[in-house]
Amino acid sequence: MPVGTYNWQDMAALAPAIILVVGGCTLLLTEVALKSAGRGYQAGLSVFFAVIAGLAAFSQLASPGRSLFGGFARLDAFGAATALIICLALALTSLVGQSFLREQASERGEFHALAQFAAAGMILLADATDLIMLFIALEVMSLATYALTAYLRSSARPAEAALKYFVLGSFSSAVLLYGTALAYGAAGSTKLADIAAAVGSGAHTPLLIAALALVGAGFLFKVAAVPFHMWAPDVYQGAPTPVTGFMAAGVKTAAFAALLRTLYEAFGQRALALGAHGHGWYVAVAWAAILTMVFGNLLAIVQRSVKRMLAYSSIAHAGYVLVAVAVGAFGGEARAAATQAAIYYLLAYTVTVIGAFTVVAALEKRGGPEIDDDTRYDGLAQRDPALAFVMAVFMISLAGIPPTAGFVAKLFVFRAALDVGAVGLAVVGVLSAVAGLYYYLRVVVVMYMKPAPESAPAAPRRMVSMSFGLALAAIAVLALGIAPHSLHQFAHPAALLNP
Amino acid sequence: MPTLLTEYLILAAILFVIGGVGVVVRRNAITVLMSIELMLNAANLTFVAFSRFPLVAGMTVQHAMRGQAAAFFVIATAAAEAAVGLAILIAVFRRRETTHVDELTLLRDPEPVFEREPEPVPVAVHASLETH
Repeated sequence: MPVGTYNWQDMAALAPAIILVVGGCTLLLTEVALKSAGRGYQAGLSVFFAVIAGLAAFSQLASPGRSLFGGFARLDAFGAATALIICLALALTSLVGQSFLREQASERGEFHALAQFAAAGMILLADATDLIMLFIALEVMSLATYALTAYLRSSARPAEAALKYFVLGSFSSAVLLYGTALAYGAAGSTKLADIAAAVGSGAHTPLLIAALALVGAGFLFKVAAVPFHMWAPDVYQGAPTPVTGFMAAGVKTAAFAALLRTLYEAFGQRALALGAHGHGWYVAVAWAAILTMVFGNLLAIVQRSVKRMLAYSSIAHAGYVLVAVAVGAFGGEARAAATQAAIYYLLAYTVTVIGAFTVVAALEKRGGPEIDDDTRYDGLAQRDPALAFVMAVFMISLAGIPPTAGFVAKLFVFRAALDVGAVGLAVVGVLSAVAGLYYYLRVVVVMYMKPAPESAPAAPRRMVSMSFGLALAAIAVLALGIAPHSLHQFAHPAALLNP
Repeated sequence: MPTLLTEYLILAAILFVIGGVGVVVRRNAITVLMSIELMLNAANLTFVAFSRFPLVAGMTVQHAMRGQAAAFFVIATAAAEAAVGLAILIAVFRRRETTHVDELTLLRDPEPVFEREPEPVPVAVHASLETH
């Protein structure tokens, strides 16, 4: 490959990620010069960069697919749509983070800078079409997220959560890297297109299957799919609450985008996807989806802490997206529908889960009762009707009840499954969603039916930015649920993933 | 001409397994960190071995060099990872005075409770309630 293929057009295609890196560096530099009193605007600056990057991603939505830097990354609607979701998650997290950090008396620019770097890594992860590039983007994202998890390092839980996340996260990265090395051996290159060519030629198939298994296991770790989910509840519970929302939304979206690209672009051939006798990766992904949906929902039921319940629910939701990933194995029309359903699901889940974790964050007081204590939700509707209402909206969306985003997203996923005749997947999905109703609606019941305890601690004062973020998320959840077709069209070009 | 590819690949696989087992069974977080480094180095060795003794017929020099370049990227990433990992470890140690992974049990699933025992009322509180 000649060196001359690096040019400014290719660089400009990575604008969303580059803007966020510039934003992160700006936040770090201004941090040095500022006194603590003047740090209020940092969240605003962070939102500003997220919006600019989001606009850059939006302008790429209609672009025809183009390979960048001689095949290391790709500019296409799929990557742009993913980048847009990530920018949305970043903006919401920054809005919410300010209020939360002020309450915890740790309002510093590093939080926002790390979030920007993590988001830049996520966007590159969605764009990468080379396994080495993908590994580096994954590490950029992961390292920033480990640090964000440990952000409130003076208390014990975030540090413990960060260590657990770090150990299992690095373990999964190493597994993925070993798979990449094996793919390099078999294909002589780490580019997805070259790997696809090697798969097509039929040479070194055992080596390629081993590579696929290792890379796939690495990604299943990152999206917290059963049986690689054991880190997620501890990490989600221990991390600072806005960070948990950011991880559940952003990390999951980016990891699924990379998983879709790898599976469809490098290992998407029918022979490997479905296999001659039903032994392709379709079977493995479908079983992972079934286990993830069932165990995620069943384990969420027994949780007493709302934050930990949401962590298990996040595992369950990864299962629904995995249904879409599995359906894509059938190729052609089914793959387009599956990609579209996955993108829509991730968009719906992003706004819903960040909203839900924001409500959890809004009720957390510095030095207040520990996270396991859930009397804070008793009778919330009387003490804070607006907060209770938006929480109810988010719970209904997570449960998948109309007229919310969660319902439409599940509808698209199950329809894609039924269209290829994967009835079993759809049935297990619907049944596990019914089990999920129990624990989501329990929160609503507690908020609206239980009397408020007399000694209920007053919720900390919310800043305008947090209320704005909550309202934005709630409106998005309802809009995606009531008028899904306008936004489903947005997800439509995203289906044009390179075959 | 026989190549050493198989030997290198087997060595790398052994290193990878040792590292993987180390992450799972070792209790000390620093040893776990070292095990992860071992796994990354196993991947590096695989990259370099495939680059030196190509499996694919007619691999160009550029493609062969790519495996060695990958090893450098991984070395840089591993250094960044170790820096973040040790920083987190220090944060844990300052607070908990331990680096043993299985002593970190603040975050875990609740024990299944089907019938919760009523909390015994302390005698002093009980007495003060009666005076009202």
